[in-house]
Amino acid sequence: MPAFWWYLQRLTGAALALLLIVHFWVEHFVSENLRRGDLTYDAIRTRISNPLWQTIDIAFLLIALLHGLSGARNILLDYSRIGRRGARIATAGFIVVGAVWAWWGIEAFKDLR
Amino acid sequence: MKDLLRKYSGPFSGMFAHWIQRSTGLLLLFYLFLHVRTIYALSQGPAAFDRAVGQFRGPFFKLLEIALLGAVILHALNGVRITLLDLGLPHQRQRRLFWTWSIGLGALIFLAGAIPLFLSSVLRR
Repeated sequence: MPAFWWYLQRLTGAALALLLIVHFWVEHFVSENLRRGDLTYDAIRTRISNPLWQTIDIAFLLIALLHGLSGARNILLDYSRIGRRGARIATAGFIVVGAVWAWWGIEAFKDLR
Repeated sequence: MKDLLRKYSGPFSGMFAHWIQRSTGLLLLFYLFLHVRTIYALSQGPAAFDRAVGQFRGPFFKLLEIALLGAVILHALNGVRITLLDLGLPHQRQRRLFWTWSIGLGALIFLAGAIPLFLSSVLRR
């Protein structure tokens, strides 16, 4: 299905719009400290120790990476002439970068579980 | 031909929206990199994390944060516009939709967020 990534970009985009509103709300508006822009370790631990929030945040990261790296790949393939083989190598590169980046973000929560 | 040239060239064509989408997209991806880099300090304990976020408390970074809000709103609203056009909204309306929806509504939402952010975190009142 050649249009798979094209559809996925719309779906992940719509999901990100909703998740971002939630993210913005919980990180900037729910307490006096947060409204001042003072995020602390304890505020995050309280939220992330809840498995539901942890799932939402990790899903948010994975969807953002899928959307962002897929978009970056589109830009690269549009403006370069690397051919089909080159495109496959680039795609593999983006997948590796995405996997490392996802692991990096998920590891951040390892002491908060 | 003249009409076509006017339609597809110059700063007010769909190309402008396309570049905005691509450049804000790359900026947001770069931001996500910095964001995960900061958040990773959570795994090094409270002191390390509070030091890491402490770097971004100055007024300069708060202004950058407001700029980030602008980039997010532009990218999100324009992305919704692209999706609606893909879903069958008439393409004759794409340009007007860009200025009213992506820029107009975007500016309103931006101000609604930017003004309180500016007052509370840049001026700290």
